[in-house]
Amino acid sequence: MTTSTALKPRQRRGSMKRARRWQTALHYLLLAVVSLFFFLPVYYLIIGSFRPSSEVLSGLSGFVPTNLSFDNYRGVFDHLSSDATGHFGQFAAVSIIVTTAVVAGSLIVNSMAAYSFARMQWRGKKIIFLLVVVLTIIPFEAVALPLYYMFSGQRDTIAIQAIPFIANAFSIFLFYTFFLDVPGEIEEAARLDGAGPLRTFFQVVVPITKPAFATVAILTFLAQWGSYLWPVLMVSDPTVRPLPLAISIFQNQQPPEWGQVLAFGTMFIVPVLAVFLIFQRWFVASISSSAVKG
Amino acid sequence: MMTIPKPRGGAGILTAAAAASIAALVLTGCGGPGTGAAGPTVEAGSGEGTINVWAVDGQAAENDALKKIISNFESSQSKIKVNLKLFPSDQYTKAVNSAAPGDLPDVLDFDGPTLASFVYNGKMAPLKGSVSEETLSNQTDSIKAQNTVDDSVYGVGMMNAGLGLWGNKKLLDAAGVAYPTTPDKAWTADEFTGVLDKLATVIPGGKPLDLSEQYGFAGEWGTCCSAGPVIWSGGGTMLKDNKASGALDSQANIKSLTKFASWKKYTDPNADGLAFTSGRVALSWVGHWTYPTYKALGEDLVSIPLPNFGKGTKTTSGTFAWGMGATTKNGAAAGKFLDFLMTDDSVGTYTDANGAPPATKTALAASGLYGPGKKLELLGEQLSRACGQEDKITDSCVSVTRPVTAGYPILTDQVGKAEAAIYAGKDAKEALSAAARAIDQNFADNDGYKK
Amino acid sequence: MTTQTQQLQAPAAPVRRPPKSGLTGHRFAGPLFASPALLGLAIFLVAPFVLAVVLSFYRVQLNSPRPARFVGFEQYTRLFTDPDLAAAFGQALLNNFTFALIVVPVQTLLALALAVLVNRQLRGMVVFRTFIFMPLVFPLALTAVIWRLIYSRGDQGLLNALLGLFSGGTITSHDWLGDPATALGAIIVMSIWQSVSFQMIIVLAALQSVPAELYEAASLDRASKWAQFINVTVPGIRNTLIFVALITTIFSFRLFDQVYLLSRSGSVDRNSTETVMTQIINTGFDNNNVGQAAAMTVIFMLIITVIAIIQRAAARQRGGIQ
Repeated sequence: MTTSTALKPRQRRGSMKRARRWQTALHYLLLAVVSLFFFLPVYYLIIGSFRPSSEVLSGLSGFVPTNLSFDNYRGVFDHLSSDATGHFGQFAAVSIIVTTAVVAGSLIVNSMAAYSFARMQWRGKKIIFLLVVVLTIIPFEAVALPLYYMFSGQRDTIAIQAIPFIANAFSIFLFYTFFLDVPGEIEEAARLDGAGPLRTFFQVVVPITKPAFATVAILTFLAQWGSYLWPVLMVSDPTVRPLPLAISIFQNQQPPEWGQVLAFGTMFIVPVLAVFLIFQRWFVASISSSAVKG
Repeated sequence: MMTIPKPRGGAGILTAAAAASIAALVLTGCGGPGTGAAGPTVEAGSGEGTINVWAVDGQAAENDALKKIISNFESSQSKIKVNLKLFPSDQYTKAVNSAAPGDLPDVLDFDGPTLASFVYNGKMAPLKGSVSEETLSNQTDSIKAQNTVDDSVYGVGMMNAGLGLWGNKKLLDAAGVAYPTTPDKAWTADEFTGVLDKLATVIPGGKPLDLSEQYGFAGEWGTCCSAGPVIWSGGGTMLKDNKASGALDSQANIKSLTKFASWKKYTDPNADGLAFTSGRVALSWVGHWTYPTYKALGEDLVSIPLPNFGKGTKTTSGTFAWGMGATTKNGAAAGKFLDFLMTDDSVGTYTDANGAPPATKTALAASGLYGPGKKLELLGEQLSRACGQEDKITDSCVSVTRPVTAGYPILTDQVGKAEAAIYAGKDAKEALSAAARAIDQNFADNDGYKK
Repeated sequence: MTTQTQQLQAPAAPVRRPPKSGLTGHRFAGPLFASPALLGLAIFLVAPFVLAVVLSFYRVQLNSPRPARFVGFEQYTRLFTDPDLAAAFGQALLNNFTFALIVVPVQTLLALALAVLVNRQLRGMVVFRTFIFMPLVFPLALTAVIWRLIYSRGDQGLLNALLGLFSGGTITSHDWLGDPATALGAIIVMSIWQSVSFQMIIVLAALQSVPAELYEAASLDRASKWAQFINVTVPGIRNTLIFVALITTIFSFRLFDQVYLLSRSGSVDRNSTETVMTQIINTGFDNNNVGQAAAMTVIFMLIITVIAIIQRAAARQRGGIQ
């Protein structure tokens, strides 16, 4: 999945230079148009967060960076200034804790299960693995209602926001495909050294399958950070409220404080965008390996 | 937890999974939401200590006023402390409904029409004995109608609510439109269309009307504040004898709501909430709560009754009020806090912040906005001409209380959905009869929500 | 492609590594390793699903003091025979299918086009790619807010303003989310904006793994660029395209957040965008009708399962998957 090859055959030299320059220009034009489509809403979010609410929704001038100020951000923090409303930092902390717990938990639990399916022999394994594969198609939304029914006694806790999402059939499946490729000799050597299955797994197998862990970590993170439906059902207390739920505080204002909504949205997304920009390579690699492997 | 491994491997895990699901079923049987309501178990308690209070996270000014009232309360005495929690409005009803009996607060905010279902679900306690007689007798009639379920009072209100058309006098004059200022002279629906035609000529873009679309017709706003007054003014009702078929889908309602939808072409969507203050529209169909922002128009701001669809102009009354959690262990302290909320001072602080008409008799009389000759006299008069619930509507009364029924959640969901669909262009008869059937089905499934 | 991998690898494993579980003394290691995840799946996925099946035989209201009442197949017969319910459920299913029918080919082709577009070493390509990837990290709750503003009815809406500008004012403002004719389309565009780069990345990786010799051979044959694309590129990434279509189909049927968030704002005819998932949540939580919602869940799961089986079978029959 590394880059670089495919382009060489195109490098013919000679008379076609002018045509190619045209082509390149066209290519850039297309790229610019496409990028604009993807980037404009992002730009609008960020610029809007610095403009007065009254000017956010005003046709094309919504894109013009005038009258910039931090007023919307101040408004957000003013509104969230007491224990009664909850604090922005609190919401962010809840989101971070829940997401971290889910990502960490799912890396450990699902990789171990996948390893067991891919590399260990035990009775009933095949049928159970088949069941796990079938489970990959059940969407969470489909079981949200009965799940809410089962755990309504645990509402308003951090744990109930995280625990249901740790075990994940698709992650098991991804790990499984990676583990199939681990050379048997390595495990054999570890076993001859007297390592038990736990040590073999954590000290020998995990280090050589890091890309698998990066893939699952990133995909899990993306799904979890914006998780909306489950918190809506399970959380009402401001002390355990995650960020996606808190947006509606600002959407329900009269008149709508669109500037504050966008400011909140920007604070919600910018840390993720920053992480994404830094780790873009891994990010891309992990998504592509989800397909090549999956 | 991890005691699964038996030599049988897979079979063992399957058994465990099955066991887990059965355990889950058993759990649900005794602990699921919707079971625990064994009738209110209020204890008067010591009358001191900390009480928990839940309220909706409203406008910044309202939140500040509430916090100020609470700090006044805490400094007026030393025995009771208040622990306030605020919830976004779209999550509030769910918070109350899903709270386990032990987690219910001592005092809670509630939206008027949700009260009956909260009572039915065992979330609320009657106030008699906890709140003073003086407080109860000082409540205005229209708010009492909202807060009484099966002849017991469950809530007391600081504020009421009313609807009207806010007008921009400068634009109305420019179009040569004369406007009514009393309920009896309200425009008929046909006259109103004519007015819109005239106004459309002076407004660039030809959309002189704001119907508060940004609140979403599919939600409570639709039922409460646009479909509701339209239906009642047209001589219809949503329910009749606890049934929607024959009421909600009546000819009168089809006609009224079709007429309402015909105004879409004159309507500014107002997604930014600024249509009126920025002068984009001449008329704004909305509640009293915009007054604090709309008063920026100064002398140009006028209040006009909603159009008359045949049976006189109608508005909805009733709004958020305060009650006691069904399981409070400190009813005496909760009652004292409610008494304090209803003092003229507290009501004044709160209604000054959001521009609402006070719901207590003494505060309303002292109001600088809603009394005779005052700026919002029209809304004050509308409230004083209370109809009660929809089965008691006459030609001359104006303020209607939304249906007090534990089935209100399905009612509002279906009426709002139908209104949004009609407004989007769907056939009114079809939308309303589908809504009526869905409501009746739900009522039937719940034995008419009788105890 | 997955099943095939298993079949290739699984039989090979015992040969490479004969089972000696008895000798190693770790007979329980396999089930032990798997148990935490299996327990999680059992409790949080299987058990609720079983519970949904059970609840679908009851008349039960959320938050109601009324005890659940066993009604047998009533919820199912209503779902199919009650004209309103059947129509609403049918409409929701139709919306899901329409969404899938449009989104799967469009998004797959778009992903391919984008991948081809960015699969070239040009100066500044990193920047362009970054722009295209960006929406992927946007949670839907936030995406819905932004696009609600973009689609806003009236001249204030960004899309209307843009169209007005480019058409010189000949295209007048349109109610994108409110008009039943464009509501689903608007949600489709938003979904594509948010997620197409996911598919694009997958296709891109496949493009770059097509052996260079194939292109060299083709260009020796003096095949045009287009002919190369059709005869070399597309066959080379065929399996990936099928995979992308598969996962997009599954996503289409899970469609929930964006519809739920958008259809509750403004003046929208909910029927025109309702999906099975939003209908389940609406029935269960807004109307508190748990039994009915559970019956919908069960039917829906059956449908998804059938679709998944048909797709896998079809994909395997065409033989390309490895």
